[in-house]
Amino acid sequence: MDFEPKILGLLCNWCSYTGADLAGTARMKYPPNVYTVRVMCSGRVDPGFILDAMRAGADGVLVCGCHPGDCHYVEGNYKCLRRIPLTKKLLEGFGIDPRRLRLEWVSASEGGRFKEVVTEFTEQIRALGPLKLNDWAFAEQPLEVHEAA
Amino acid sequence: MPYRANMMVCAGTGCVSNHSLELKQALEEEIQKRGLTDEVQVVPTGCNGFCGAGPIVVVQPDGIFYQLLKVKDIPYLVEEHLLKGRPVPRLMYVPPEEKTPIPKMNDIGFFKGQMLVALRNRGMIDPENIDDYIARDGYRSLAKVLTTMTPDEVIGVIKASGLRGRGGGGFPTGIKWESCKKAEGDIKYVICNADEGDPGAFMDRSIIEGDPHSVLEGMAIGAYAIGVSQGYIYVRIEYPLAIQRFRIALKQARDYGLLGDNIFGTGFSFDVDIRRGAGAFVCGESTALMASVEGRPGEPRAKYIHTVEHGLWNRPTCLNNVETWATVPVIILRGVEWFTSIGTGDVSQNPWGGSKGTKVFSLAGKINNTGLVEVPMGITLREMIYDVGGGIPKGRKFKAVQTGGPSGGFLPTELLDLQVDYEQLTEAGSMMGSGGMVVMDEDNCMVDMAKYFLTFTQDESCGKCTPCREGTLQMLEILKRICEGKGVPEDIQLLEDLSHFVIDASLCALGGSAPNPVLTSLRYFRDEYITHIRDKKCPAHICRDLNVYTIDPELCLVKGHGCGVCRRQCPDSAIVGEKNQVHNIDQELCKKCGVCLDVCKFDAVKVA
Amino acid sequence: MIKVTIDGRDIEVKEETTILNAARELGIKIPTLCYSEFLEPYAVCRICLCEVVRGKRSRLVTACNYPLRDASVSILTNSARVRNLRKLNLELLLAQAPAAKIVQDLAAEYGVTKTRFPIKNPDEKCILCGLCVQVCENLVGAGAIGFSSRGSKREVSTPWGVEPETCILCGACAHFCPTGHIVMTEEADERILHSELTLGPNAAISIPFRQAIPNVPRIDVEHCIHFKTGGCELCSKVCPKDCIDYQMKDEIEDIDVGAIVVATGFQDFDPTPLKQYGYGKYANVLSSIEFEQMNNAASPTGGAIVLENGEEPRSVAILHCIGSRDENNHKYCSRVCCMYALKFAHLIKEKTTAEVYQLYIDMRAFGKGYEEFYHRLLEEGVNVIRGKGAEIAPIGGKFGEEGLLVRCEDTLISKFREIPVDMVVLCTALEARDDSADLARKLNISKGADGWFIEAHPKLAPVSTTTDGVFLAGVCQGPKDIPDAVAQGTAAAGQAMKLMTVGELFLDAAYAAITDEICSGCRICNGLCPYNAISFLEDKKVSEVNAAMCKACGTCAAACPSGAITARHFTDDQIYAQIEAIFA
Repeated sequence: MDFEPKILGLLCNWCSYTGADLAGTARMKYPPNVYTVRVMCSGRVDPGFILDAMRAGADGVLVCGCHPGDCHYVEGNYKCLRRIPLTKKLLEGFGIDPRRLRLEWVSASEGGRFKEVVTEFTEQIRALGPLKLNDWAFAEQPLEVHEAA
Repeated sequence: MPYRANMMVCAGTGCVSNHSLELKQALEEEIQKRGLTDEVQVVPTGCNGFCGAGPIVVVQPDGIFYQLLKVKDIPYLVEEHLLKGRPVPRLMYVPPEEKTPIPKMNDIGFFKGQMLVALRNRGMIDPENIDDYIARDGYRSLAKVLTTMTPDEVIGVIKASGLRGRGGGGFPTGIKWESCKKAEGDIKYVICNADEGDPGAFMDRSIIEGDPHSVLEGMAIGAYAIGVSQGYIYVRIEYPLAIQRFRIALKQARDYGLLGDNIFGTGFSFDVDIRRGAGAFVCGESTALMASVEGRPGEPRAKYIHTVEHGLWNRPTCLNNVETWATVPVIILRGVEWFTSIGTGDVSQNPWGGSKGTKVFSLAGKINNTGLVEVPMGITLREMIYDVGGGIPKGRKFKAVQTGGPSGGFLPTELLDLQVDYEQLTEAGSMMGSGGMVVMDEDNCMVDMAKYFLTFTQDESCGKCTPCREGTLQMLEILKRICEGKGVPEDIQLLEDLSHFVIDASLCALGGSAPNPVLTSLRYFRDEYITHIRDKKCPAHICRDLNVYTIDPELCLVKGHGCGVCRRQCPDSAIVGEKNQVHNIDQELCKKCGVCLDVCKFDAVKVA
Repeated sequence: MIKVTIDGRDIEVKEETTILNAARELGIKIPTLCYSEFLEPYAVCRICLCEVVRGKRSRLVTACNYPLRDASVSILTNSARVRNLRKLNLELLLAQAPAAKIVQDLAAEYGVTKTRFPIKNPDEKCILCGLCVQVCENLVGAGAIGFSSRGSKREVSTPWGVEPETCILCGACAHFCPTGHIVMTEEADERILHSELTLGPNAAISIPFRQAIPNVPRIDVEHCIHFKTGGCELCSKVCPKDCIDYQMKDEIEDIDVGAIVVATGFQDFDPTPLKQYGYGKYANVLSSIEFEQMNNAASPTGGAIVLENGEEPRSVAILHCIGSRDENNHKYCSRVCCMYALKFAHLIKEKTTAEVYQLYIDMRAFGKGYEEFYHRLLEEGVNVIRGKGAEIAPIGGKFGEEGLLVRCEDTLISKFREIPVDMVVLCTALEARDDSADLARKLNISKGADGWFIEAHPKLAPVSTTTDGVFLAGVCQGPKDIPDAVAQGTAAAGQAMKLMTVGELFLDAAYAAITDEICSGCRICNGLCPYNAISFLEDKKVSEVNAAMCKACGTCAAACPSGAITARHFTDDQIYAQIEAIFA
């Protein structure tokens, strides 16, 4: 059986989630691999969510927020913009390909763009293959890792 | 220690340009060489007035007058006059047509007929030394005014004196001061108009150069009477020496506390600044002058509101001419009675009723004694020209005199007994003006003279209003046409119409008076115009295009033996003739340059 | 008040009134050349000279500036002497500025047909009246022109004859020039076309648009000479009621409201960059809004459809989809153009005898009754051509004065066509206003890539936005015609009313809270909050969230190193649970 990636989508309530909604109401077709969790703002995305998702079995994490300058909360997306690169470094430290984490800006009107982003990211994860975690890293005490980070 | 003799060397612009400063240096050196330094003093003075005789040295206190001096004359002069006490007759003035020299200045006709008021210190003081001025009663009037008189009393004196504007307009000075005093406004100004623009006139310059403090004192008196604390002197930049003398005088007066704050401790403050004009003729007009002081183009403005109410920077401003200001201190000092005893008319009831005091004139043209004279009002033109002026050179016949500058009228022989005052001159079609006096003799063509003066006024017109700009231009075109022999009979009427139009319709006095020479020449010398137009002839042979040159064959052959000089000199090869034969002028080729006339030693060339 | 006599007629005037004004009150005409009621009299042309007779004395004065001060005078404005002076004056002016029509006319009035004086330059128009210089210096305050030289060489010029930096190109000098000597020239082929047809102001002071409320003029500060140089103030000089107030300033008022309806509309697409259509270059290429304006009965043409030269067009082409449905400009359909283009065609047919050509891509007559209207137009004989207009070229003249050629491909007959027309109307796209991004940011609402504001949900919340209490109405949300805009506006008003009738607001239950016991007092969260909802309690040494100010973005919760902040309804536990549920 072919590998079907499981991807966590963390979407901000105002732009990206609405954009995803628009893609839906516009009957756009895109891969069903992204499982969406709505947060109020991309600034709400705690790196812990990303690590926990990967521990729990996600092959990739897609974070979407408003375009810079358009944040519903003025500057939440800027905070996210600074946290994601740090998280990528952390992932590298764990031996995880940082390409499995991606930050994208999708506005409420960009249903089409959401479709493109999801399609493309799914294909990328599919190419990277399933995420295999080293036993020493996550087997015993997954939550402690998060806390240590 | 008092000096035995004072050598008063004229350092006016006229004499300076004739090297009087080198003369002064030579004199000082010679005096030193002879060890007379402690006995004889050399004093540079302002213009002596007799500019035609410059450079001039007057030896005081004897009043011995030396003229036309050269540096090489100095050692002899010093030796003879100062060492041996023998005045030098060959350096003295000799009246024309006579042989005996006149040693004393006051015996010379030129000086004899004069009465010095505005020029009271001429030749007597060093203009760059305030002490000289003070020594001759300088600033006494100001002290008198400030300590013993109210401003209204001062105005009363000036009004009663009948003093009228010496710049030409003849407006009663007292009335002007009074209106300016009454005009509403906290800040007022007095201005001294030293924008003397008439060609050949230099009364104002001479006063400033010779006696700057008299102007300053007059201004200070006026300022006190009107209630002014700031004055301006508007001098044209072509008068660098005048500007320099004013600067020195201003500094000295300030140093002595005669200008500035709290003068004589009376609480009256007054100061003066110099404003330099670029030298446009029209800037002598009061509104144009004020525009220029304000930094705007010097153009007159229409004034039914007088400058005494809305003048400089729209504030009440009293503008008077240099000579007027310089006369004021004398009136204060010597009183109304003395001043009104000079001149014509009666000013006791009406300030316009007469012309009082003296007036400075500059004599120029065809006259023996050219220079600056101050004479009492009411002197006749004849006295002026023949007594003071010494008559016409080379015994030629008097033809006309123009008074009042380039826009004054020509007065003919018939009017020689006219008294010189404001009213009579105006009636005769001329004006007092600033006091120019140009004498013309039989060799002058009146059409050409009218053209000459109109050329000046037309060129100096600011061009603001149509009549002056276009009217004088077309008048000049017509005059040129007449002088070129292209005039038509209708031109005379057209000239008259245009003249009246320009006078009636112009914005300021420049246009309002510019046609005067044309009008008076038409009035008194109309036949010359007719000759030019009808006969295509210029009686005075001035208008070259109308001349016809011919050679008298007899004179050419008998006296000149057909010398051929004229043939060689003729630039157009219009003269033909073999050597030792009679020469002839080819009228087709002749360009009427007149060279043949000048070069022929046998008077064989005739002009008609 | 003093009583004077002018030409035998008595009049009572205020002291200091000029003769000219007193004469005008009596209806007596005194000719002037250099006078303007807006300027101090310059009194240089001397044409207005009049005789002032006081007793037996008569004096010549200029009527424009001679102030009447005493009652005993009588004034002659047209005596023989005055007429003679004027004649000579005019004769001189005819020699100096023979091409000045105002001088020719006035001279003819005085029976002067030719001048006796030599003419300097037969083409000269300038009479050196000085109005231009006066205006520039004293009214405009720019001082960009003046007189140079003097006397007969005097001329109006700029300093050193070069273009002056102080010139603000206001054109006042040309406006005041009585002879047409000063003209404003057009630079580089650009002309102001049909400037009278613009919706906006074409003078610096005007009523902003027709039927504006309040219907009063206002000053366009950007173009007003007064605000550039401090001069002019002409409008206040002519206003009889002293209504002009230059001190008035824009005021910013704070209004507390419970709901906002955004109805900011659209702006017109500017077709100038589409050079192929020659808008702004050819005189008779109009945008749809200009054409609409011309049709207005209150327009300068009185509603008549005319060319720039005032003639009726023989044929008109209406080009659809200018800027819309265009890959290079706006991809969307502007929705309203097809129908208004049909209306235009109908108006042209009604008012003129012109042929009408419609050049369309698709005819979108989608609304109720619209299709029927389209068919009616076809019956009226309107030519419809399926094919987008490709280019407009002049038939004759640099500016297409003699007609225009419309090039297109008629896709129904597969032919390239060239249609000669007199007038072209461009159906320009509706586009979002340039400032829509600012407004979106201010109101915290979203806008699409095209700039139109985005509704909260296209079907379920078509007038709401992502911000509570902000609603959308009309074209600001997307192109729509009047019925649709009215419907949406009504709905938005209803939504706003709904909020207001309740009288109080319900806050979202989602907000952040800090657990005192866990908070270490590190204060990281304090600076993060964009709403300043978090403050530090000095006494307890912990941070605290003001629930009413918190908008629940959760940024603080994500950053808290000790996990003391709970983003309610989006708590860590809830999200972890979701993640667990997804990947379990």
